Amino acid sequence: MTGTPAIKAINLVKIYQSGGVPVPAVRGIDMRVESGEFVAIMGPSGSGKSTLVHMLGGLDVRTSGEIWLDGTRADTLSESGWALLRRRKVGFVFQFFNLVANMTVADNVELPALLGGATPRQARERREYLLGELGLTERASAAPAQLSGGEQQRVALARALANQPRLLLADEPTGNLDSRNTKDVLRLLSDVHRKGQTIVLVTHDARVASMADRVVSLLDGEIVDDGALPRARRRPAGTVGDVVELRG
Amino acid sequence: MRAELRWIRADLRARRGQALLTILTVAGIVTALVTAATLLEDGTNPWRGLFTRGNGAHIWIHTKDTPDVVALRGLDGVTDLAGPYRSAPATLASRGRKVPIALQETPAAFQAVARPLLREGRWLDVRDPDAVVVERSFARELGLAPGSPFPVTGLNGATHALVVAGLAESGDQGFYPDWAPGLVWTLAGTLDVVEPAAGRTESVVGLRLADPDDTDLVVQRAVTVLDNQVQRVSTWREVRASMELDNRLLGLLLALFGIAGLVAAALALANATGGRVLGQVRDIATLKSLGFTRRQVTWTLVAEHGVLGLVGIVAGLVVGRLITAYALPDTVVVPLSPGPFAAIALGTGLVVLGSVWVPAWGGGRTPPIPASPAAPPRGHLSRLARVALLVRLPPALVLGARDAFTRRTPALLTVSGVAIPMMMISIGLGCWSTLDDFIRHPERVGQAAALTVRPGDLTADEALRRAAADPDVAAVYPGAEPDALVPWQTRTVRTRALGRSADPYPFPVVEGRMYRDRGEAVAGQGLLDLLGVHIGDRVRMTIGGTPLIVRIVGRVVEPEHDGEVLSFGLDSLAAKDAVPQFYSLVLREGADPAEVRTRLHGMSLDVSQVVNPADRLSIIRMIIIALVVVLALIGLANLLTASALGLRDHAPDLAVLKAMGLTPRQVMATLVAGTGLLAVCGVVAGTAAGASLSAVLIDLEGRESGVGAGIGRAPTPGMLAASVLVAVGASLLITLIPARRAARARVPHSAR
Repeated sequence: MTGTPAIKAINLVKIYQSGGVPVPAVRGIDMRVESGEFVAIMGPSGSGKSTLVHMLGGLDVRTSGEIWLDGTRADTLSESGWALLRRRKVGFVFQFFNLVANMTVADNVELPALLGGATPRQARERREYLLGELGLTERASAAPAQLSGGEQQRVALARALANQPRLLLADEPTGNLDSRNTKDVLRLLSDVHRKGQTIVLVTHDARVASMADRVVSLLDGEIVDDGALPRARRRPAGTVGDVVELRG
Repeated sequence: MRAELRWIRADLRARRGQALLTILTVAGIVTALVTAATLLEDGTNPWRGLFTRGNGAHIWIHTKDTPDVVALRGLDGVTDLAGPYRSAPATLASRGRKVPIALQETPAAFQAVARPLLREGRWLDVRDPDAVVVERSFARELGLAPGSPFPVTGLNGATHALVVAGLAESGDQGFYPDWAPGLVWTLAGTLDVVEPAAGRTESVVGLRLADPDDTDLVVQRAVTVLDNQVQRVSTWREVRASMELDNRLLGLLLALFGIAGLVAAALALANATGGRVLGQVRDIATLKSLGFTRRQVTWTLVAEHGVLGLVGIVAGLVVGRLITAYALPDTVVVPLSPGPFAAIALGTGLVVLGSVWVPAWGGGRTPPIPASPAAPPRGHLSRLARVALLVRLPPALVLGARDAFTRRTPALLTVSGVAIPMMMISIGLGCWSTLDDFIRHPERVGQAAALTVRPGDLTADEALRRAAADPDVAAVYPGAEPDALVPWQTRTVRTRALGRSADPYPFPVVEGRMYRDRGEAVAGQGLLDLLGVHIGDRVRMTIGGTPLIVRIVGRVVEPEHDGEVLSFGLDSLAAKDAVPQFYSLVLREGADPAEVRTRLHGMSLDVSQVVNPADRLSIIRMIIIALVVVLALIGLANLLTASALGLRDHAPDLAVLKAMGLTPRQVMATLVAGTGLLAVCGVVAGTAAGASLSAVLIDLEGRESGVGAGIGRAPTPGMLAASVLVAVGASLLITLIPARRAARARVPHSAR
């Protein structure tokens, strides 16, 4: 635990107002994610795991507490401040893929790079590289609606990685996929993690969580368990871990 | 920049049809505005068209002898010369009276500069030396047509039997009788016959300038060059001023329509953009999660939708120019002057950007969490739907009624998007029926008398006897129109002594009462405003040197002289002034004024027909038709957007509805009911508002223009019913298009 952590959250609180009644979603979370770490956040529905990840990426505003990204305080940023920060440092993957429907696969992947100030040529090269890595080269000019769910999520992953962000936040990335596609996506996540990518992944699927270095369990907006997974448990026979192993 | 452009390009590519519709809507509005403004400008300022078409001369110089043409041509700023032509005064004997005219020599071949524009008949021909061409407004006043005899008496007393060959217009002289004497073009030979003495003719030369603003300078130089020869000079400014109509009423109407058109355009754009933004909430949220800032999203949306609007404006300006240049060559000669053109471009530009900015700003405020898909707030049945259930309407209608108001803001936008054009259409129809009312009941606008007889050569009594003897003349009122000097006024005001206090002329009194006694008077709104007096006040004035004090007892609708007219009985005037100058003839119901006029002409009476204000305002009708068409298109475009939006909202529900067992036809009925209900609400609200507002607005404009309140008429019930039926029918048809397609399509039941 040395060096600057990728994420540091201090006493993070989120309270929604629902019809004038305050509904606490996250109640005072302290959390630290080291650079290059793969953290899974688990918990039942309504435990506040998505809210936590959204706050860490600045999509949602915290009620109180502090968020430090890469040693810089981020919770005091304005909405546009967060937007600029996300461009450079944070990639998002969502449950429902959220590709821009009107844009081709290629455009979807190039968009963040262009937004980050890359030239069209740099953006195209990066896109070609990413789609090649994800095995989607021949689908570059397709519309998102023409792709299967797994393909869409792989494109979303490519888009999230387009700017080589320090942090990848994934909110139930396999929640809407069948087991085969789940395996593919997890394998890709594992690959990028091995290349040093910091990942925070929200899931309620224990098998998915087993991919991570560390699992944080939430219940009613509080951390109830936080621990590194023992190496042995990370390689049970006959799970997705095998796929990663074989490829590696 | 690049990322935004990429997004805009992709979005436009995905919805070409909608984008085209937006462009067409804006283009249609701008085209209508340009066309209406051009027609208005041309109608109220006929000089521009005549001058341009006739390639007129800016300056006319009358000299005793033939001027030094070479010197004039050499003047700085002069590009061309017309003439010099000889001109001679003469008299026309017309139905027992002598009318002064100016005969002007002109070549048989059309000249390059200052050519008269032949409107009827044929031009002069050397083979027919007795032919003349008469200036049209003069011919109208005298009832002359091609073929009419034209007996001219020269200064030497000899009379020559000439014939009218044709009627022509010219931008070089104002209309008769404002600009007298009447202008008559003849060949040089004819002029020599009528006026053989060279000393009694004068020479007229026209100068065409490179820059009209140099007029004063060139006049000074010309006067210097011609040294003492100049008898008088007239310039284009005087001609234009004398031709210009009072266009305040027209201008106000056009402004009203223009504003309505702009509001409707703003609504259409706001609705289209708002609908698009609502449909893109998920994409916008995704973009924000990728790092688009709020401002970036707003400006990208403004750029995308604003560019569509601006393209529409440019297209509209171009099409408006083309239409006025090619489709209306007879009515419009000169394109709209740069001032109003720029005003339309700028005004619509601002409206476009403003109406796009509001929904774009809303789009920019989209929270960046794309997880929650855009969905209408679900749950409760609207009150309307509950009523529909209570009265046991078919389920499709109930569901439609429930859908109609689920989203309050878009529902309100849709209703206003239909209601505002509908309101303006109703106001337009109100203007139409007001004009109809002018024509059908001229007595309500102070024109009970259709004809005016002047005694001319006859004695007043003889004229009166002859006029009253006509079977179609119901009443005769003696009248005089002396000018009166009013204290504190630098100019005179027109007074009208008509009828006698005991037997007053049937003025349309709208406030107060009619005069009944000597010393009582009624006035137009313009006069009340001018003098700052009210009904019941006394006014002191001087007529022909004699002081006169009258009490204003009522206000009348007064279409003439901007309403600045004071009317009273002839017996209120001093005895020396109370001599009838003319007789106003009120005709029997159903009598044709033109027929009576011809009959009275036959008895050598000098009769003129009163011009109905509706004839002068006939240009409004064209404007009304054009704007009604555009407004209807805007309303329908709004509806199309709204129904597409409603469809998007309910796409997931369609599968459920079908699963519940609704037939495709019932699904279609649900969708049509959802948007159709809003359309009907809009149509009814708009028509009601327009019908109740139109009379008030027209009266307001009447008041502003001095005519006075009391002219406004609401559209007739038949007109309103027809417009409501057409509007509702068209709206239902429009909503049917997307509904039909949706009801037949197989709807996938899954998240995107």
